[in-house]
Amino acid sequence: MKRRDFLKYLGIGAGGLGAGFVLGKASNPPGAKLIPYLIPPEDVIPGVANWYAGVCTQCNAGCGTIVRVMEGRAKKIEGNPLHPVSRGKLCARGQASLQALYNPDRIKGPMRRISKGGDFTGISWEEGLEILSGNLAKLDKDAPGLYMLTPPLRGHLNSLVNGFMAAFGSPDYFQYELFQHRNLIAANRLSASLSEIPYYDIENTKFLLSFGADFSSTWLSPVNMSYGYGRMRQGGQGKRGRLVSVEPRMSLTGANADEWVPARPGTEGILALSMAYEIVSQGYYRGADGGAWKSVLARYRPAEAAKITDVGEERIKRIAREFAETRPSLAIGGECVASYENGVSGLVAVNVLNHVAGNMGIKGGVVPNSEGFVEGARRPDLKTDRISTLLKSASEGRVKALIVYNTNPLFTAPKALDAGGSLSKIPFIVSLSSFMDSTTAAADLILPSHTSLEDWGDDFAEPAVGTPVYTMNQPAVSPVFDTKGAGDILLAAARGAGGRVADRLKWNTFEAYLRESWQGLYKRNRAMASSAPTFDEFWSRTLQNGGWWQEAEEPRKRAVYVSASGAGPHLPQSPSRFEGDEKEYPFYLVLYPHAGHFDGRGANLPWLQETPDPMTSVVWGGWIEINPKTAGGLGVKEGDMVTVDSPSGRVQLPVYLYPGIRPDTVAMPIGQGHTEYGRYAKGRGSNPLDMVPAKEDGISGEIALNSTRVKITTSDMSGEMVKMEGSTKELGREIVQTVSPEEFEKMPKDAV
Amino acid sequence: MNETGPIGIIKKLVSFAVVGAVAFFVGYRIQGRYFSGRTPAQPIEFSHRIHAGDNKIPCMYCHLYADKSRVAGVPNVKRCMGCHAVIKTQSPEIQKLAAYWEKKEPVPWVKVHNLPDHVYFPHKRHIKAGLECQQCHGDVASMKRITRVSSLTMGWCLSCHTKRNVKNGRDCWTCHI
Amino acid sequence: MEGILKRIAEKFRDYRVPGYYKKFDYRWTMVVDLDMCNGCGACVVACRAENNSATVGKEECRKGRALNWIRIERYVEGEYPDIKVKFIPIMCQNCSSAPCEIGCPVYATYHNQDGLNVQVYNRCVGTFTCATYCPYDVRRFNWFTYKWDKPLDEQLNPDLTVREMGVMEKCTFCIQRIRVAKDRAKDEKREIKDGEVKPACVQTCPTGALVFGDLNDPESSVSRMARNPRRYRLLEELNTDPSVIYLKRVMAEGPSEREG
Repeated sequence: MKRRDFLKYLGIGAGGLGAGFVLGKASNPPGAKLIPYLIPPEDVIPGVANWYAGVCTQCNAGCGTIVRVMEGRAKKIEGNPLHPVSRGKLCARGQASLQALYNPDRIKGPMRRISKGGDFTGISWEEGLEILSGNLAKLDKDAPGLYMLTPPLRGHLNSLVNGFMAAFGSPDYFQYELFQHRNLIAANRLSASLSEIPYYDIENTKFLLSFGADFSSTWLSPVNMSYGYGRMRQGGQGKRGRLVSVEPRMSLTGANADEWVPARPGTEGILALSMAYEIVSQGYYRGADGGAWKSVLARYRPAEAAKITDVGEERIKRIAREFAETRPSLAIGGECVASYENGVSGLVAVNVLNHVAGNMGIKGGVVPNSEGFVEGARRPDLKTDRISTLLKSASEGRVKALIVYNTNPLFTAPKALDAGGSLSKIPFIVSLSSFMDSTTAAADLILPSHTSLEDWGDDFAEPAVGTPVYTMNQPAVSPVFDTKGAGDILLAAARGAGGRVADRLKWNTFEAYLRESWQGLYKRNRAMASSAPTFDEFWSRTLQNGGWWQEAEEPRKRAVYVSASGAGPHLPQSPSRFEGDEKEYPFYLVLYPHAGHFDGRGANLPWLQETPDPMTSVVWGGWIEINPKTAGGLGVKEGDMVTVDSPSGRVQLPVYLYPGIRPDTVAMPIGQGHTEYGRYAKGRGSNPLDMVPAKEDGISGEIALNSTRVKITTSDMSGEMVKMEGSTKELGREIVQTVSPEEFEKMPKDAV
Repeated sequence: MNETGPIGIIKKLVSFAVVGAVAFFVGYRIQGRYFSGRTPAQPIEFSHRIHAGDNKIPCMYCHLYADKSRVAGVPNVKRCMGCHAVIKTQSPEIQKLAAYWEKKEPVPWVKVHNLPDHVYFPHKRHIKAGLECQQCHGDVASMKRITRVSSLTMGWCLSCHTKRNVKNGRDCWTCHI
Repeated sequence: MEGILKRIAEKFRDYRVPGYYKKFDYRWTMVVDLDMCNGCGACVVACRAENNSATVGKEECRKGRALNWIRIERYVEGEYPDIKVKFIPIMCQNCSSAPCEIGCPVYATYHNQDGLNVQVYNRCVGTFTCATYCPYDVRRFNWFTYKWDKPLDEQLNPDLTVREMGVMEKCTFCIQRIRVAKDRAKDEKREIKDGEVKPACVQTCPTGALVFGDLNDPESSVSRMARNPRRYRLLEELNTDPSVIYLKRVMAEGPSEREG
C-alpha cells in the first residue's frame, strides 16, 4: 500500500470513528433530567390519571363534564356519565374546549392601554385592580353609569355579579350572546306560561317535526338531544321514530330527516299553523275549546298556506295527519325559525301545533321544567335588557364604565348596530375575558379571567330534563397563566372600593361565596337536604359527582295549556319581512351557527378549524352555500369567490354548491371573519353578520339574523376554499347501505 | 491497488466506504459502551450504598409508586427532608439538599435509566409479576453512585420476555404505541 | 443452500398469510349503527384529542395531508328538492385479512393476538405501501414533524407516542385504553368486562351509534348487534374481513314522498 493511500484510509477511518461517536452522542443525549416533586400533591400518583367533574361552557346547554388530569395537566375532557344532560357524551366543541385552556393566544396577564387608541402594556394584578377600583370610585353615587355585560349566566356567578351591581347601586346588568334563546323563552312564556325552557323529549317521541331546529350540531342542547335522537331511531322502546324537517336550508338535522320540507324562509310559523288547522278541523283535537281554536286558525287553511309557504297542500295535510295520529309526536322550533324578525310568533305557532296534537306535558312531547333559577340571580328582562339598549345608552354617553366578561358583541352583533362606535364613547371599559377578542381589544383595562377548567363555578341547566340539574364546576388544573377567576376579580374590586360595597360583598374568594350559597340551597331544598346528613358530606359528594340532581326516573308530569285566546294575538300574521327589494336582491339570506365555531367562540381552537364541517367538509375558512341551479344561472362554479351584498353590508366568500338549499335562498355559517381572537381565527374568512340589518324581534329583543335579502356578483378577489370531501357520490360502491322502512319493519326484532 | 481506470477507482471508493463505515460503527459503539453516561454525576452525591445497603431502607420506601404506576417515582424533596432535617445535617451533601429545600426547588437528578418516548414500560406490571428491582437495576445496595447495569435495548427486554414466556410479551404493541 | 432459501421463503409466506392466529385472545370489534349516526363529528375531535393527532393547517389540508384517524363521509343523492344525504364514520377497519399487512416490507404493520391491525411507528420507514394497498383510505402519513404551539403541547396524551416525520399512522381502536382495561383486569384477576373498553370515539358519540367490544364473547353487546339483520361490512367483496360492522341505515328508497 502506498503511503498516500494509507494516510487516506487513516483519515477516513478517523473521520468515521469521530462521526460515529458524535452521532451516538447526539442520538442519545445525556442529562435528561428526573425532576421530583418538592411537596407531592395529595391523591396524585404520577402516571395515573385523576378525573375532576365540571361543566362545559362552549355553549349554553350546560353539559356535565369530567376532565382527565395527569401530573397537573388536563389531557382530555369527556361527558360526565352521571350527568342527566350530557349522559357521558360530549360534542365536538366540548371535546375541543381543552384547547381554550392551553391556547397560545390567551391573555397571559393583566394589561392596560397606555393611551386612548394606543397599545396595551402588561401590568401587575395589584396595579390592575387599583385602576379598576379607582375608576369605580370616581362614579357618581346616585347615578353610577356602571354597566355590566356577561353571557347569560345561570349559576352563582350571576348572583354575585347581580349583587356587585346592586352594591354599586346600578341596575344595568346586561346579558348578551348571539344565540341565547330569548325567542324560545318569550314564546313559552306567552303561549304556555312556562317560565323555563321545557324539556323536548326527543328520546320517547315517535314523530319529530323540526322547524329549523338543528339539534344535531348546535341548537339548544345538542348532546342531550342527539342522545335522544339515537334512542328515538334505534335502541329505544317500540317503533322507530320518524323525523321530518322543515327548513329552507338543509341543516345537519335536516340531512338526517326522513323527509325534508324546504318551505319558503319566514313562513314556517304559518306552515305549522296550517297543520294545526288541519288537525283541529279533522277532529284530532280533544280539548273543549276546539271551536275557539278553529276560528283562530281559520286564517291558516292549508290551501292558502300552500301558496305562502311553497309547500303542497296535500303534503301539509298528510304531515299534519301523521303528526296527530302518531303518539306521541313532538314539534320543535329552532334557530332558523327563531332568527326571523317575527321569531317569537313562529315559535308560538310551533307550541300551538304541539298543543292541538296533544303533545304538551306528556312523555315524548313537551315536558315542563320547574323553576331552577338561583336566588339572587338576574334573568334578563326581555323588554329592557337588550344589547341594542346597551349600545344606545353607550352612544348617548350614559355609560361611564363597562365591565365585559366573556361575550363579544363587537363580533356577534350585526355590524349595522355599530357596536364599535357605541363602545368607543364609553370612557372606561374593563374586559375580564380570557381571549383577545374584538371587544376585549377595544377595552382600556384587561383583567384576564380563568377558563372554566381553572375556576370554580356552577350552572343550572336550562332546559333541564324535567327535573332540575345543578352542575358544579371545580378547578381541574392550576392556572396556566397569570389569571384570576371572574368572581374573584369582582370580589377584589369590591374590597378595593371599600365602604358599603365591600360590606355587602364580604367574601374573600368566589369559592367561599359558592360554598356559602350552596349551603343556603342545601337548607332550602328538602330533596337536597335528605340526600346527605350534613352539608359537608353533601358538598364533597356534589364535587365528586359534578353536581346534584334527583334520581327520578320519570320526569314530573304537569299540565301545560295553550289557550286560543292567549296564543291567538301572538300568531304570525304574515311571512317574516326581509329587507331589500326582491328584484335588486333576489336571494333570501339564511345564517346559521357553524357546527364547530358556534357564534364564533370556537374559531380560535385549531382542532375545530381542522374538523370538517359535517355538511360541506370545508376546513379553515368560510363559504356561501348556493343551489347548483342558481349557481349555473349566476355563472359561478364551486370555489369561485363571490361578492354578496345586502342593503346593510357586503362580504366576499367562496362558493360551495349545495343541493340542499332552495334556489331562491343562500346560506352562510357564522363563526369566521374575526379581526382579532388569536392566530388561528384572525383574518380568516368573512363575518356574514356584516350584512345583517339592525333588526330584532319586537317581543324578545333577539337579533333577527334572517331578515335580509342579498344579491350575488362574481368577484375577482382571490381566496381558497379547502374541503376534505372527495366525491359526494357513492359511484355504485354501496358504501352506506340502506334498508327501506317497510323492509325494516319486517326484520326480526328478537335477533337483536 | 495499483490498478488504474474506472474499475480501480470504484474499487478504491468501495474500500474507502467500507473502512469509513466500519470506523463509524466502531466509534458509535465505543461511545455507547464507554462514554454514554451510565454513571452520571448527580447534583447531590446521593449514595444508595448508605441508604439501601447500610441502613437497609426498602426500595419502595422512597420509590413510592413502583407497584402502582408505570413510573417508580423519585422521592419528593419533602420526603428526603423528613429524615435529613435531623440526620447528618452537617454533611456537605445534606447541606446541598437543604439548600434546594430552602430555595423551594426540586433536585434536578440526572436520569440514568432513560427510555425513548416510543417505549411504554410500566414498573407496576413488572413488580406485580414478581420481579425484584435488582433484576434490572443491579445490586443498587452496593452502589455508591448509581450506575446502569442493563443495556435497556429491545433485545435485552425481549430475551427476558421470551425466557419467562410472558403472555403477548413479544407483541410490538405491548411496548410500542 | 437451496433448502435453506426454500425454508426462509416458506416462513416468509407463512407470516404473510393473514390470520396467523388460530384464535384471538380478544376479538375487538366496533359496531356502527348508521341509523343512529347523525354525522355530528364529535368522534372526530375526540379521536384527535385522545391520540395526539397533529393539526396540520389549511395548506396541508388542501394537499390532503390532514391527520384524522376517523372521518365522516357524506354522500348526497338526488337533486333539489329530493335530496338524500347519508353519513358514515370510517376509521381503520382492522381487517383480519388486511391488504396493508401483506404490503409492508419491514413488518411495521401486522395482525396481533387481539385481532388488531398493529402499526409500529418505530419500525415504520415510510414506504407508503400500506396506504396504497388500503381500500378504505384510513392510513395517514406524517409528511413533517408537526409542532404544537406552546402550551398546546401540555394537552398531549402521555399514554402514546407523538409521531414524527416519515411515519405512517392510523386508528388503533385506542389501544392505550385497551391496555388500561387489561391492566385493571389483571390486577383484579379477571377478564375484561363488556363495555369496559371504550375508544375515544365510542365514549363520546352523543347518539350512541358506536359500540365497541369483544366479538369472542357471544353475550357481548357487539356480538348481539353483529347478529342484527341490518349488518354489513364495508366493501365486503374485497374479502378483507373487517372488524368494523355497520348496521344499515333505514331510509326510504328513491325520492322522498314529496307530494301527497
